[in-house]
Formats: sequence, structure tokens, C-alpha cells
Amino acid sequence: MPKVKTSRVRYPEGWELIEPTLRELQAKMREAENDPHDGKRKCEALWPIFKIEHQKSRYIFDLYHRRKEISKELYEFCLDQRYADKNLIAKWKKPGYERLCCLRCIQPRDHNFGTTCACRVPKHLREEKVIECVHCGCRGCASGD
Amino acid sequence: MAHRLLRDAEADGWERSDFPIICESCLGDNPYVRMTRALYDKECKICQRPFTVFRWRPGRDARYKKTEICQTCCKLKNVCQVCLLDLEYGLPVQVRDTALSINSNDTIPKSDVNREYFAEEHDRRARAGLDYESSYGKVQSNDTILKLQRTTPYYKRNRAHVCSFYIRGECTRGAECPYRHEMPVTGELSQQNIKDRYYGVNDPVALKLLNKAGEMPSLEPPEDESIKTLYVGGLDARVTEQDLRDHFYAHGEIESVRMVLQRACAFVTYTTREGAEKAAEELSNKLVIKGLRLKLMWGRPQAPKPESEGSEAAARQVAHSGMLPRAVISQQQQQQQGQMGMQYYNAPIPPPPQQERAYYPSMDPQRMGALVHTQEGSSSGGQGESKPGSSYPTMPPPPPPPHGQYYPQYYPPPYGYMPPPPAYQQQYQPPHQSAGPPQQYQHPMPVGPSASSSSGPGGASGSGQAPSTSSGAGPGPEPSAPEGSSQQ
Repeated sequence: MPKVKTSRVRYPEGWELIEPTLRELQAKMREAENDPHDGKRKCEALWPIFKIEHQKSRYIFDLYHRRKEISKELYEFCLDQRYADKNLIAKWKKPGYERLCCLRCIQPRDHNFGTTCACRVPKHLREEKVIECVHCGCRGCASGD
Repeated sequence: MAHRLLRDAEADGWERSDFPIICESCLGDNPYVRMTRALYDKECKICQRPFTVFRWRPGRDARYKKTEICQTCCKLKNVCQVCLLDLEYGLPVQVRDTALSINSNDTIPKSDVNREYFAEEHDRRARAGLDYESSYGKVQSNDTILKLQRTTPYYKRNRAHVCSFYIRGECTRGAECPYRHEMPVTGELSQQNIKDRYYGVNDPVALKLLNKAGEMPSLEPPEDESIKTLYVGGLDARVTEQDLRDHFYAHGEIESVRMVLQRACAFVTYTTREGAEKAAEELSNKLVIKGLRLKLMWGRPQAPKPESEGSEAAARQVAHSGMLPRAVISQQQQQQQGQMGMQYYNAPIPPPPQQERAYYPSMDPQRMGALVHTQEGSSSGGQGESKPGSSYPTMPPPPPPPHGQYYPQYYPPPYGYMPPPPAYQQQYQPPHQSAGPPQQYQHPMPVGPSASSSSGPGGASGSGQAPSTSSGAGPGPEPSAPEGSSQQ
């Protein structure tokens, strides 16, 4: 067989600082993936996945854009290695979407009448105060609240 | 949006429509309703053919509703696609058919291929614009159905279903649970079947309604022979005196017609008693003037003094400006014996308290619930009276002596609890049915001061029984008066 060149991962500097948290989050994600579905609704079983994904991306986004504690190189590295979701982070940079829960909730094609998920509606404009959106279990991700 | 290209839909006989055929209650109160349309989304619950399903939310606190049966089936029976109740009257199919004596059941096949064929034929004809005969447009509304129909939309049926997890105590969703957290109402009415409801066979709700309709009382002539006046209720600006005369002249010579517009009623007096009776008999449940269903009852002369306690009832009675629906009072009187000239009470006159006390000085006014001339007082007086009842063995057990005093009082309580005049008819039922049970647990009438000691015991027996029935008339009022009945 011809020699297959696999690219080895080269970790940039500063990686050791963020590595433990990232590993922890990864483990959490694996746990959520392997959770039994008993007692949960079909959609509810997927909610932890979205939640942890949001958490991971949030961590990296915060480190770079808000707290500025890691270098651009490390940041890009994390995005390439899929430690964070770059599409979700791209939304967070836009005004009004700073707290977006997941990408499904703003997809009009996924909803009746081409609207967005109820979790995107600010609480003071809603009629039902307590909701858990069906996609990701979000309780409200409008930037206002 | 992806279009599902089917073979020519018409060829298949599958139904397409542009808007659902639904009733007001199902559509909801929101004028800005958003509806999704899904072609051939589900099969009709009756004929199992694919049809266009519309789905919308009928109001803020409503669940999403969708069309359940196809338009073909709905047009065959003239019902709403969602709730399967008649579009005009809001009644179940069985009720409407029996009331209007329509029987279309023979024509609609119920099984298999026959049904499909029939539905398709019907559909084809309708689409081709052929005017098939529909019995629903031509039927005249009759009185029964007008009585039974729903006049305002009923949005309670749009509420969310009951949370089945909550019933078991397991609902983990808590506040965000969209289903109702209430215990379900069980009973015969909850076993309903959509096919039964559609074909009008064996429908428990319909049976209940029909029973209720059958029991609506007819007008009995009053005992007092001198009454020649009929009370007509439910009037409107559209109904004129001339209309009333036109309707009533056929049965006898009309002496006078007095209309009281502010009370939406009128009084028609005949010169002869027979005329009045004949009119009552003929028109009692069938009085429909200009499409307006009117209530007919006997009138009666009214004692003018309104009473403070039964003010609600009394005010209503007084407001009848001289005549009272006699039927209610006649019921009470039938059970009362020895009424003796109390008959013309419509607003009982409470005897002054001081006088009453003077008659029975041995009565302890310090008793719990000492006689206060209010309903509450009487009631509490009633509740606390078991002991005093026994401590006054001289009192004739069945009727409490303070009968004279309580006699007037139990008029107001029943009337006080009566619903407004249009509902008088319903009062016929409760007196008969509920008179028994509620009264058994009442304490004996308090032996309080009575208006007249002599007439007390005498009249007590009569009135002792009267309270039970008359108080039965009110939905669950517990005036002290009814207690006397327990001693019967």
C-alpha cells in the first residue's frame, strides 16, 4: 500500500492553558451522546448536545473575542479542529444574535410560516413566559433578555 | 417549496380545497389567524380518502386544530370539518336530525367500497356544479332546535388537551407543559366515537341534549282561576304589540296587551280564562315571532313590596311590573299546603323582628345564628339549629314554628338564586329532582320567633314542605327555610 501521509496535529503555543477545559467539555459531550433516552421526549434527548456545543463555542469565542487571552493562531486552530462551531460564532458577532442558542432556531425553512423559533422572541413580547424551544431546549436567547 | 407532483389529482378522486368549512367556535376569536394548508396530508376520518388538511390556532389559549374530515363528508351532513357539529346550530348530528326529522342515513353507505363510490360520485357531481339535493337548506327551523342551538361560539373546546402525565402525577415539564394540568372529566360523555357522531347514531352528547329537550316543561294552567294573563319573555325591539296580537288573537279575545320594553317582556290578558289556557297550551313551547323565540308563562298579580333580603329575586320580581311568571311560584304552592292567601306573595314581606320575638319569648335569641333577617343569617341560623330544634319539643317537629317568618324568607332565597328570567324553565327541574337530597341534611328549622304563633304551626306544615321544593329550585341555596323539610 502506498504510504498514507496523515497530518499530525501540531498544537500552537498557549494550547496547554485551554486544553484541560476543552478536554473536559469533550468528555461531557461524549457522555451526553451516550446517555440513555429513557424518560425523555424524542426532541429532549438531543438538547444536551446543542447545549454543550454552545458551551464549547462560547468558551473559545469568549477567550478570543471578549477576553483576548489567546492568540489568533490558537483561535483559528480551535476552529479548524472543530473544538468550536465557526458558523455559530459568526452569528454571535452580529448585532441581535449575541446569545443565539443554536443555528436551527433561526432557520426559517425549518419553521411554519417562515418564522424563527419561539426562543428568539424576547420575554416581554411573548405570551407564554416559560418555554423550552423544541430544537435545543432553549428558554430564550434574544439579546435583550 | 418542493412540489409533490402527483398524477392528476382529479383522476384519483382525491380532494383539494382552498379553505376549510368550519364553524365559528373552531375558527377562533382571533381575526388574524394563520393557517397552513397541506394537500392530501391525512385521510378523512370517515371515508378514509386523502384530503387537504388545514391547521391553525384558534386563539391565544387554544391548541392547534386541524380539519378531521374531508369536505365531501362535511357537505353531506352539513357539519364543521373539525368538530362535526352542525354549521348552523352548533348541535350534534343526531340532535339536529331528530329535531328536524331528517333522515339521511339511509342514503349514505357506511362500508368500504360503497362508501368510497358514493363519496366520489357526490364529489364529482358537486365539482361539476350539478345541484344535488341537499335537505339542509330547505328545512324550516322549528322551535325545539332553536331552543337547543348554540348562539355564541364556544371556545372552551379549543383548549389544550389534558396532560396525561399530570393525571398520573408524572409531568416533568412543569410550567412549560402546553397541556392542561387538570383532572379529566370522566363519565359517559367521554366515550365518543367520531363515526357515531358523524352518522348520528348512539351519540351520548346528543342523547343527553335530547333528554333535556324532552323534559322542558309545558305550561300548566295556574290554580288561581282568575288569572287570564300570559307573560311573554325574551322580547326584542323587533316584536311589536301588533305582532303579539296577531299571534294571540287566534286563541281567544284579547283584553289587553301590555309591553314592558325595558324588561323585554309583555303581558297579554284575555277576556276569558279559557282563551288564556288555550293560548298557553298552543303556544307554550312554540312561540316564535320574527325568528325570535319567546318564552311563555302564566302571569300573576304581584304583591308590590320588595324585600331586602331576597332583593335580587325580589327586584327581579318587581321588575316584572305587575306580573310574575307564575309557574315558578305555582310549583312551590303545589307542595305547600295551607297557603291561605299567601299566594300573592311574590316578594315576601318580612315581619318586623321585634314582633316575632315577642311571640316566643322562650326562644333564645342568643343562639348561634340568631335570627337576622338576611339570607346568611337564616342559613347560619339553620345550620346551628339542630340543638335548639330538639330543645323545643313543643314545636311540631316537621315544620318549625317560625314558619310565618320563614315563609317569606324562603321565597327570596330560591329566587335569589334563580338565574334571570329566561332560565325559568330550568327551574322546573331542580325543584323536583333536587328537593329530596339537599334537604335531608338540613337542620331542623330554628325555633325562632315566629310571626304568628297560631298560624305558625298551622302554616308551618305547609310551608315546611314548601321550602324544600322551593329551595330546591335554587341551585344549592341553603336558607334556613328548607330545613323544615327534613323533619317531614
